[in-house]
Amino acid sequence: MNELLNKIAEILEEKSIAETDDLKSFAQWDSLSVLSVIAMLDANYGVNLRAADLESTGTVKDLWNLVQSKKGS
Amino acid sequence: MNFTFHRKHISGILAVIPAHERSFVEEMKNFNFPESRSLKLKEVMGYDKHRLVEPGVCVSDLAVCGLEHLFKNGLLRREEFDALILVTQSPDHFMPPTSSIIQGRLNLKHDLFCLDINQGCAGFLIGLMQAFLLLEQESIRKVVLINADVLSRKTSPKDRNSYPLIGDAASITLVERDAEDSVIHANLKMDGTRHEVLMIPAGGLRLPSTPETALLEDVGDNNLRAKDHLRMDGSAVFNFVQVEVPPLIEDLLASAGASMDAVDYFICHQANRFMLQKLADKMKVPYAKMPSNVVTHFGNSSGVTIPMAITFNLADRLRTGHARVCLAGFGVGLTWSSMLMRLGGLSFCEMIDYP
Repeated sequence: MNELLNKIAEILEEKSIAETDDLKSFAQWDSLSVLSVIAMLDANYGVNLRAADLESTGTVKDLWNLVQSKKGS
Repeated sequence: MNFTFHRKHISGILAVIPAHERSFVEEMKNFNFPESRSLKLKEVMGYDKHRLVEPGVCVSDLAVCGLEHLFKNGLLRREEFDALILVTQSPDHFMPPTSSIIQGRLNLKHDLFCLDINQGCAGFLIGLMQAFLLLEQESIRKVVLINADVLSRKTSPKDRNSYPLIGDAASITLVERDAEDSVIHANLKMDGTRHEVLMIPAGGLRLPSTPETALLEDVGDNNLRAKDHLRMDGSAVFNFVQVEVPPLIEDLLASAGASMDAVDYFICHQANRFMLQKLADKMKVPYAKMPSNVVTHFGNSSGVTIPMAITFNLADRLRTGHARVCLAGFGVGLTWSSMLMRLGGLSFCEMIDYP
């Protein structure tokens, strides 16, 4: 979880983010960030998400749960 | 599906690129995004410059320029090839075929098999396969394969999703029989259920162009484009490539009985640097073996990017020596294809400007 938080903070150019933060609340959350997150999840967790999956994801915690549910599937 | 082609080879490659160069930084003021974010996009994706045709320039203009260059410099004789294949998604007209227009403009002989193919990012491989098949006929001695697109003319300058990466170009590839007992392995997959991922919605007969289809609209992502314009679902394309291409190439190498290490270069369609570096990471291929610099310097010209990656990066090596290359094209259709061949001893391998 901490690793995911750090990687997302890096993509969003934030010092730190909390698992309860809503992804869409960040100023830097745009199509580039979405693609960067998709690529990061593919490379680090072996999970392929679509932009639509991220659209319907709220907080970082929700994203973590989504990644866990897709892992190995 | 898998294919093998025997005793065929590429004997020359010429790329024709518009002299007109534009830069991302000068164009980013057209985008409806903060400059800092556009600069970030530039850095991540590897955008910098791209070559675009001047208004009014068509595919046949680039093709005729390239063929005239070859004729004039004694690199190809006008009567020595018996087929002319043009792969394009931006033809001069609906009808006649643009290959016929090129034949006519150059006054080429009547014993010439002219063929247009509507294909994009995998179009270099699809065109090569057709060339190999035609060469099974004795009457066909050499095939001129032309890949050409001027898709900047169908892309909205206010669409940051597509415009910065688009480039226009043509390539002319000479294909002929090989005196050596060589084998080229290839494979191909297509999935038409995903045809909307890369599409120009209007301008055909399903949705003819009208003043309404020319109106710029924001579909919710801050980009302005019309139905007459190319549209691309960037993240869907990214996922498609990362999921489908690595197993495609693994299968190709397995069916050819070749290892990854036996491949000198992986020459992939140049979607953008980001996508190719992620692909290289996933396939555990060093970046030096997978060139990804074409979009940064010239833009993504659809089926022309593989020949451009060759002429831009490997010209010296391939004029004198040989390399074992794995080609891979992926995109519109959706279509994905790879091909393993020994490439080299090219009688020409260069880039020229148009005009």
